Amino acid sequence: MKQPKSFEEGMQRLQELLTVLQDETTPLAQSVKLYAEAASLISYCKETLDTAKLQIEEIDAGLAAKTEETL
Amino acid sequence: MAEFINVTTLNRLARDVLAQCEPLSHLIVCGEISGFTRHYKSGHLYFTLKDETSSVKSVMFRGQARLLSFEPQNGMLVLAYGHATIYERDGAFQLYVDYLRPFGAGAAQMAFDALYKKLEGEGLFAPQRKRPLPPFPRCIGVVTSKTGAAWQDVQNVIARRWPMTRLLLAPVNVQGVEAERSILAGIRALDRDERPELILITRGGGSKEDLWIFNSERIARAAAACRKPVVSAVGHEIDTTILDYVADLRAPTPSAAAELCVPDQRELRQKIFILQENIQKNIQNRLQICYNIFSMTSVQKTAQRQHLLLQRRQGELTQTQSALYAAQHRRWAQAQNALRSAAAVAESLNPYGVLARGYTIATRKGRVVSVEQLQPGQTIVLQGARAQADCTVQRVEMTETQGDTTE
Repeated sequence: MKQPKSFEEGMQRLQELLTVLQDETTPLAQSVKLYAEAASLISYCKETLDTAKLQIEEIDAGLAAKTEETL
Repeated sequence: MAEFINVTTLNRLARDVLAQCEPLSHLIVCGEISGFTRHYKSGHLYFTLKDETSSVKSVMFRGQARLLSFEPQNGMLVLAYGHATIYERDGAFQLYVDYLRPFGAGAAQMAFDALYKKLEGEGLFAPQRKRPLPPFPRCIGVVTSKTGAAWQDVQNVIARRWPMTRLLLAPVNVQGVEAERSILAGIRALDRDERPELILITRGGGSKEDLWIFNSERIARAAAACRKPVVSAVGHEIDTTILDYVADLRAPTPSAAAELCVPDQRELRQKIFILQENIQKNIQNRLQICYNIFSMTSVQKTAQRQHLLLQRRQGELTQTQSALYAAQHRRWAQAQNALRSAAAVAESLNPYGVLARGYTIATRKGRVVSVEQLQPGQTIVLQGARAQADCTVQRVEMTETQGDTTE
C-alpha cells in the first residue's frame, strides 16, 4: 500500500475511501481491500499527529538587510 | 561712548540665557502644524506650531524625523517633545523637536483617516482582494520581535494546535527608529522565500503610539503586494490599524492569529475518529449483509432441494397408490365375476329352483326323504314353490326297478 505524501492527502484519501465503501455497488472483495488501505491511512494520520513537533527557523538576516537596501 | 556688542554676541547671550532656563530644555508643546515642509535635500522637517494667539517656528532634524510613524500634516494637532532656544544666525526663537505625535483622538484620527481614505480609494481594503488561508499550512512566516511576548504566544498556540507546521521567523524591531524598515524587510523577505504559505505580522499590546507604526502606508502597501495571504494581529481586540484593513485576515491578538492560521489537531483527531468509525461500521454492515444474503440463499437452496425430493416421492407414492388401486380393482372384478358365475351355477343347482316348475320335495321331520324310503303311514311334508302340504303316506309302490337308484 502506498504511503500518502502528506497528512492532508491522507485525510482526503480517507474521505474518498469512505464514499466508495458506502457505495453499495462496490464489490465486497474491493471493499475489503479498501478497508485495509483505510486502516493503514488512519494509523498513518494518527502517527503523523503524534510525532509532530513544531519546527522553528529564522530567516537569514542578510536577506533582510539586502531588502532594506532596495527600500 | 557707550559700550556695544555685535549681533552675534547678542544672539549668543540670549541663547546662553535661555539655555540656563531649565523648563525650556524639556518641553512638551501642544500646537497645530502649519507651513509644513520637508526639506528635499536634508530631510529635515520645518513647520510652525500655533495656537489661537501665538506661533513658534519649529524644526525636526532628519535623524528624529525618521522615527515618525505618521506623516505630519497641516492642521494636525500635535505634541512636540524637545527644547526651545535661539537660532543664533537669524536670532530666531525656535523649537527643536525630537519627537512628535498626534495629539488627542482628533489628530491621530485625522492622520489615520487620511491614509484610510487614500488606500480604500485604491481598493486595497476590498473584500474581493482577501485571499483564503491554506487549510493546512506547512510553513508560516512570522514577522515580529524575537523577544516579544507575541512570538511566545504564537509558538505556544501553534505547538499545541498544529505542531506539524514550521515557523519561519523574520525577527524585526516593532518599535523605534528602525521599526518601519525592519518590518518592511521582514515582510518582503518572507514573501520572497518559497517556504512560507502565509505571513503573520504581529506584535503584542501597547500604547496607541507603540502600535502607530502599523498604520504606516509603506507597511500597508508591502502587505498588499504580498503574493501570499497576510494575517495581521496588532495589539489587542480594540486596536485596529491600517495594516489590519489591508491584511487578508485580521486577528484581535497574536494568540488568536496563531489559532486562525492553523487547524486544531483535536478537531482533526475527532474527524479521524469519526471517519474510522464510519468506515468500520460500513464494512461490518457490508459483511453482515453479505452473510445474510449467503445464509438466506443457502436455506432457500436446501428448501428447494427438499421440495424437489418431496415432489418426486409424492409422485412415486401417487403412482404406487394408483397401481395398487388398479390391481385391487382388477382382483375385485375377477372375484366378482367368479362369484357371479358360481352364483349362476349355484342357482342352476338350487333344488328349490325346480319347485317353480311344479316339482315338489318331500321332507320328513325337516329332512328330505326320497319316495323310495317312505313307509306307509308316515307323515311327510310336501313342499312346493309357494305352498306346502302335510301328507300321510298311504302306499309305496316301486314304479321302476333300477339298482342304482334304490340303493
